[in-house]
Amino acid sequence: MIPAGLLALLPELWIGLLFSAILALDLRWKETRSSTMGMLTAVGLMPLFPLLWWQHSSLHPADLLSGMYRLDPMALLFKGIFSASAILVTLMTRELGKTIQRGHGEFYLLLLTATLGMFFAASSANFIMLFVSLELIAITFYVLTAYLQTDLHSLEAGMKYLVLGSLASGLLLYGFAFIYGATGSLQFSKIQEALSHHQASLPVPLLFGLLLALSGILFKVAAVPFQLWVPDVYQGAPTPVTAFLSVGSKAAGILVVFRVLQELFLLQAHQWSPIIAWIAGLTIAYGNLGAIPQTNIKRLLGYSSIGHAGYLLIGIATATTLGSAGTNFYLISYLFTNLAVFLVVTAFSRQTGSDEIRDYAGLSKRSPFLAAAMFIALLSLAGVPPLAGFFGKFLLLMSAVTEGYLPLAIVGAAAVVVSLYYYLLIVYTMYADKPEDPTPIPVSAPVRLALLLCLVAMLGIGIWQGPFLRISLAASFQ
Amino acid sequence: MTAFQMVHPLLFYTLSGLMVVGALGVIFARVPIYAVLSLVITLFGMSALFVALGAYFVAAIQVLVYAGAVLVLFLFVVMLLDMAPEALFRARSRIMMVAGIAFGGIFLWQLVHVTVVIGGRPGLFTKQPVAGTTAAVGKLLFTTYALPFEAASMLLLVGIIGAIVLAKKKL
Repeated sequence: MIPAGLLALLPELWIGLLFSAILALDLRWKETRSSTMGMLTAVGLMPLFPLLWWQHSSLHPADLLSGMYRLDPMALLFKGIFSASAILVTLMTRELGKTIQRGHGEFYLLLLTATLGMFFAASSANFIMLFVSLELIAITFYVLTAYLQTDLHSLEAGMKYLVLGSLASGLLLYGFAFIYGATGSLQFSKIQEALSHHQASLPVPLLFGLLLALSGILFKVAAVPFQLWVPDVYQGAPTPVTAFLSVGSKAAGILVVFRVLQELFLLQAHQWSPIIAWIAGLTIAYGNLGAIPQTNIKRLLGYSSIGHAGYLLIGIATATTLGSAGTNFYLISYLFTNLAVFLVVTAFSRQTGSDEIRDYAGLSKRSPFLAAAMFIALLSLAGVPPLAGFFGKFLLLMSAVTEGYLPLAIVGAAAVVVSLYYYLLIVYTMYADKPEDPTPIPVSAPVRLALLLCLVAMLGIGIWQGPFLRISLAASFQ
Repeated sequence: MTAFQMVHPLLFYTLSGLMVVGALGVIFARVPIYAVLSLVITLFGMSALFVALGAYFVAAIQVLVYAGAVLVLFLFVVMLLDMAPEALFRARSRIMMVAGIAFGGIFLWQLVHVTVVIGGRPGLFTKQPVAGTTAAVGKLLFTTYALPFEAASMLLLVGIIGAIVLAKKKL
């Protein structure tokens, strides 16, 4: 009989094994074989899906390994999201080619450790475990952001992310310490028990701790007022890193917010719910209004990802099953949609070396496939039916209305219109403007395949929502 | 494990006095290097207090990590910045002073609140042996906290890889 703890830990062990394999190959292989190594990383991550599915269907949800490790549907769903984004980001990294002058193997290694950190964060059932895994994610991203050694933007982005991220980690730890001090435990299950005595209102130390911890986590999610780092870091970081930050890191943040608010502090929902609702509204407004004047596509996507963080928070603010299912659903569709956009950005900048929106002029003639993929992905990001983005927004706004957050729903709906404006400006540039340089843009087979997968997912999730909604519901609390 | 013991008052007051002197030195020293060195006195006093409480492991870590690593880092920063005395003098503005006193006041209030008000509640502090010995910490690390311990080792590996990748020109 194999102990349940070991079976539960299998995905993490697999990533560790893959990490060791890539590390060994990196020592043996020359830099020229890096694209094979990237393929190996991407293919090596694929067995995670059947593994996670098997865990979902045959293992019981439990706290394992001395209560450090949580196995539940939510953790498994998020691990699936992390794996999918890691695979797509690895494929993007292969496209970078000479943009990274050195250390391709290390880049893949760091992508793997970030994924491992996200896996651990998804399964943490203890504040120490949670903090270590969040640091694993954060420190990996500090290095990845500053990876382009000769690019000043990348170095600046890395420095900014390091300084602000360390501050956020400090706040997080301070918050955890207060919660520990007030409840006497680091274990989620015991904290939950201790908190059930404070149903009416939280005592000051707990409230203080909760707010501090939330500040640290919302930094990762990039919600107002912790979003200031986003535009610079998103613009400066290598494009695959930006993509991973906007999907993987954000999803990890959302997951931790779920764990802390909807699991630990659920009984006190009436106290934090209005705060999160305000944050969600402001985040949506800030992200979408800030995106309008942008001329750099990565910067624009940075602002729009702030806006999407706001939508994700709506589901948490409502503190209902519908809301959390909405957030999960939104995250699944956001994963494919946003990564499709970033795949196009990577393929485009590989050929042209530019991330400026005006250089996208006439993309429809240079590469009809890329332009069409971008068009559909941007429509899905804005939330146009029948694409995936629409149904997620619909669920979230519906949950906001049923919980009496009508103004929040109105802000969310108005932001859709604003976002359509700046997304369609890109589409207009791509289709209506004349290209300065009409050379066609080649698209490599893996990227073509990944983009097709994303497009199928966008349409599939949008039209055939049933199974995805069921997964989202199964993975939500209550 | 040692039984819980009270620190001898004479020892306690000597060490605390030393720590206060060191702390005052940090604030009033005109040269940053002296301020950092005064901090060493405070940290050593604190680790001596831990020894007196029977928490040898914590004491050793205190010396190794704080008096060793962190202070060397401070010294590096001070030496690299190498500010002229006049610039340092001008940096001491009134706002900084007020803010410093305000923050110090908040921390003092917190400390008093925790030790006097919360600490006064019955049943919170039991006279049990301190679990700060190497054996106790090691046992916890390899049983209850084995998973975070392993994750932390991964974290260190990332730190090493990251430092090499960022610092080296050619890999």
